[in-house]
Amino acid sequence: MDSEINSKANLQEVLNTLEVDRKKIAETYQTCYILIGLAVLIFAVGFFIRFIPLGIIGCLVPIIIAIVMYFRIEDDVIKYKSAYKMNVVGVALKDINETLTITPQSGLPEYEFISSELFTTEPDRYKTQDLISGIADKTSFWFAEVHAEYKTETQTKNGTRTTWHTIFKGIVFVADFNKNFNVSTVVRPKGIADAIGSWFSKNVFSFGDSEVVQLENIEFDNKFATFSKDQIEARYILTPAMMERILDLNSKSDDTISISFIHSKMYVAFPLSHNYFEAPIHSSLLVPDLLTNDLAIVKFMYDIVHELDLNTRIWGKE
Amino acid sequence: MLVIIGLFVFLFIIGIVIYNSLIGKRNQVTNAFSAIDVMLKKRYDLIPNLVEVVKQYTNYEQSTLTKIVELRARATSGNLTDEEKASLDTELSSAVIGLMVTVENYPDLKANTNFLNLQTTWTESEEQIAAARRTYNSAVTDYNNAIMMFPGNMFAGMLGYTKIDVLATPEEERKNISAKELFNN
Repeated sequence: MDSEINSKANLQEVLNTLEVDRKKIAETYQTCYILIGLAVLIFAVGFFIRFIPLGIIGCLVPIIIAIVMYFRIEDDVIKYKSAYKMNVVGVALKDINETLTITPQSGLPEYEFISSELFTTEPDRYKTQDLISGIADKTSFWFAEVHAEYKTETQTKNGTRTTWHTIFKGIVFVADFNKNFNVSTVVRPKGIADAIGSWFSKNVFSFGDSEVVQLENIEFDNKFATFSKDQIEARYILTPAMMERILDLNSKSDDTISISFIHSKMYVAFPLSHNYFEAPIHSSLLVPDLLTNDLAIVKFMYDIVHELDLNTRIWGKE
Repeated sequence: MLVIIGLFVFLFIIGIVIYNSLIGKRNQVTNAFSAIDVMLKKRYDLIPNLVEVVKQYTNYEQSTLTKIVELRARATSGNLTDEEKASLDTELSSAVIGLMVTVENYPDLKANTNFLNLQTTWTESEEQIAAARRTYNSAVTDYNNAIMMFPGNMFAGMLGYTKIDVLATPEEERKNISAKELFNN
């Protein structure tokens, strides 16, 4: 109890110190915005009085000052954001579980994202950050924010135009799975193509995809397409109880989740648009609900281990 | 004339596809059943060791052990229909689960590493058999649908294919098996 009060007092102290830095950064940003506004105004005045050289020279001065100010504060912003993640989020995580740690610069490596087989498209641009890891009883788990994109190139009159498309943006959760398995089993949201594929495999055997697994839980089968090279192993992993638990977990997520069981690990991809664990700049750090969203998502991830009953280890994976 | 020949070829190809599909589905069923068989055999192999270990520590469970040994002998004797195999397996399963529960009365046995390993392997094999049974049932449903629906039913009649019953899954196999639960009974 004492340590809890101490840690709360320490957190408050850290927040007070960081609030000073935040105000300094916010004020600098505001000054930059005002200077840019001023530059636009000077240019407009020059334009209206038909003395454009004066407008251009006049607007350059505030723009240069704004750029210099912006770059001078940049280092402080990086330090502030990193201190927030380490000293505020990092400390608050311990309230959920002592083993939880955050490593802001790390994430889920790209090769692991590809080998998880969660998505069929390979990314051309891949960003990941805020790796949080911990142990829930016997099960190690970790999760990180991931933004994976692929590009398409179209030829236009002015050359090649590159367009970026999101493959996945959200959080990928990884946990040691409690059973041994040899091949990979992938559970993806059921799209139209998957629905057609599974219809063929059900009704016209010769044309169907032999890797499609038809599971007896109708709700599960309607929501997800399951693929595996080993029909028995897929059912060994996806027991009736496990399917119910996955459906429960899915109902708590806004968009349909994707799951894969591969290399004795379980990967769950939660599509989310919000960027978590970021320090606020234009709003105060001293508000009571500062960490509510961030901690809610961490608690959600932490609870997955219990929700999917990954701690029941009777299958020789002690 | 060409149209008639085209139609004939088209129908012939469709016929081949349906015929092959039925054979494929029937083979899937056989395959799925042999997968259960392999797993059951693996599990039967565990029984002699299990009986040996339990014997060393207990004097009062002789009737249960004898019953298990008898059931195993019947299950491995061959000459059994698929239904007999399935019902013997269910009986054997519940006898072993009963034995595992009575182990609670023998702390020495409960602490024996050999016994613990056997117990883990047993529950593991229970899970695998449950998965194999579900795979079999899925293959049977697929096959039954194919032979009962048009146009598969026409070919099924010619091939002499009849409906196959799915295996009933015992209620206890519907949930994950946990040793903790077994011992808490």
